[in-house]
Amino acid sequence: MASLFLPMHSLPTVLPTQTPKTPSNSKNLSIFPTQSSHSQFFGLKLSCASLSIPSSTSSVKSSIFAKVNKGGVPPQFTLKDQDGRNVTLSKFKGKPVVVYFYPADETPGCTKQACAFRDSYEKFKKAGAEVVGISGDDPSSHKAFAQKYRLPFTLLSDEGNKVRKEWGVPADLFGTLPGRQTYVLDKKGVVQLIYNNQFQPEKHIDETLKLLQSL
Amino acid sequence: MAILPHRSYPLSDRTLLNDPSLQSTWSHRAWVTSGCATVLISLAKSIAGAAYSHIWLEPILAGLIGYVLADLGSGVYHWGIDNYGDASTPIFGSQIEAFQGHHKWPWTITRRQFANNLHGLGSAVALTVLPIDLICNDPILHGFVGVCSGCIMFSQQFHAWAHGTKSRLPPLVVALQDAGILVSRSQHAAHHRPPYNNNYCIVSGVWNEFLDEQKVFEALEMMIFFNLGVRPRSWSEPNSEWTEEAERPPQFQRTTPLI
Repeated sequence: MASLFLPMHSLPTVLPTQTPKTPSNSKNLSIFPTQSSHSQFFGLKLSCASLSIPSSTSSVKSSIFAKVNKGGVPPQFTLKDQDGRNVTLSKFKGKPVVVYFYPADETPGCTKQACAFRDSYEKFKKAGAEVVGISGDDPSSHKAFAQKYRLPFTLLSDEGNKVRKEWGVPADLFGTLPGRQTYVLDKKGVVQLIYNNQFQPEKHIDETLKLLQSL
Repeated sequence: MAILPHRSYPLSDRTLLNDPSLQSTWSHRAWVTSGCATVLISLAKSIAGAAYSHIWLEPILAGLIGYVLADLGSGVYHWGIDNYGDASTPIFGSQIEAFQGHHKWPWTITRRQFANNLHGLGSAVALTVLPIDLICNDPILHGFVGVCSGCIMFSQQFHAWAHGTKSRLPPLVVALQDAGILVSRSQHAAHHRPPYNNNYCIVSGVWNEFLDEQKVFEALEMMIFFNLGVRPRSWSEPNSEWTEEAERPPQFQRTTPLI
């Protein structure tokens, strides 16, 4: 539950690879201190400005609250896929896997993101990686979503958002919106990248491919 | 707000020029006159009060803020009406239906008579500004209220002009549109193209770029969806509710491009 109360500003310091991206992501609102916030939305920067906690303190906070960090091994899960079959994270050991948490099926951002993953799927396969999407929707919703947009990868149902909370995926817009966060795990199951961007979903594909190509 | 007819016969069967639903009634004129009166009283109180107190900068700045916020308000209201509710929604139902009709037949707005087009906003402004006129005397407040309410009331006229063609609009209007003081024809045209989820502001359009780039409305839509379970209309595939009717009566066949 802690992740839902997590002020947005503290998360970025868990994600050192995000900080350099901030200047390119932050193309607006120069009146707000951007402080390694990589989410584009105006509201998030507002929360960063109002809380104004320097990065040294927030890095301490983030080590207490964030559950999955870069360099760590995330907790195992078993979730149902769009066909109702149980899928465990350990199934993907031995190859890199992109685990992307998204708010919900059939919403504009999530559709853009899923279609972007679909359109670049060959590149992910070439890098030897698998792609797995996770949201709180049920398997039948995932099935319809996957069929409608011809998604070639697995979608998992995290009903009750248990795994989302276990992994510490932060919520957006003062906790009202499930966050959009992507993890890249290497062949050993160690997290090598965590990327968060609610309102520019296609960037998740660029960032994860970039990392995969360097693995 | 402009009320479209509830009839559903094809547009080409109507003779638009004579369509009574596009003409002004005495009730329409009364509401527009009332709205204008309340706005003018507010502006007069602002000017008189400013002269008496020898302050000019503050009322003028307040007016400027009113102009800027009117644009934002027009966008938020337009977004809400375009995306939520339907004809059966209390209070707003007829406006929601009218906005949907406007998306199907956008050119109709250019054929509405003046009071027919503005009477809805005229009544809202009259009812809101009258108490302020009666109770308040502050010139700065009236600077804000007069300009803001005036822009809101006339936003429907600015909207109609944004649907006009350059060759048919008064040169002054074209100049104001090109200068960004009134919402431009091109900016508003973008709102009438799929996915119908941008360029909602219709006074000056000054907020459109910011609101769209910052995905403000998308964020609000997501918050509403996740907390109230309601999907906005703009998330659905373009359907007959949004899609402009291809059929146009012969007298309105375009000979010049829209922009």
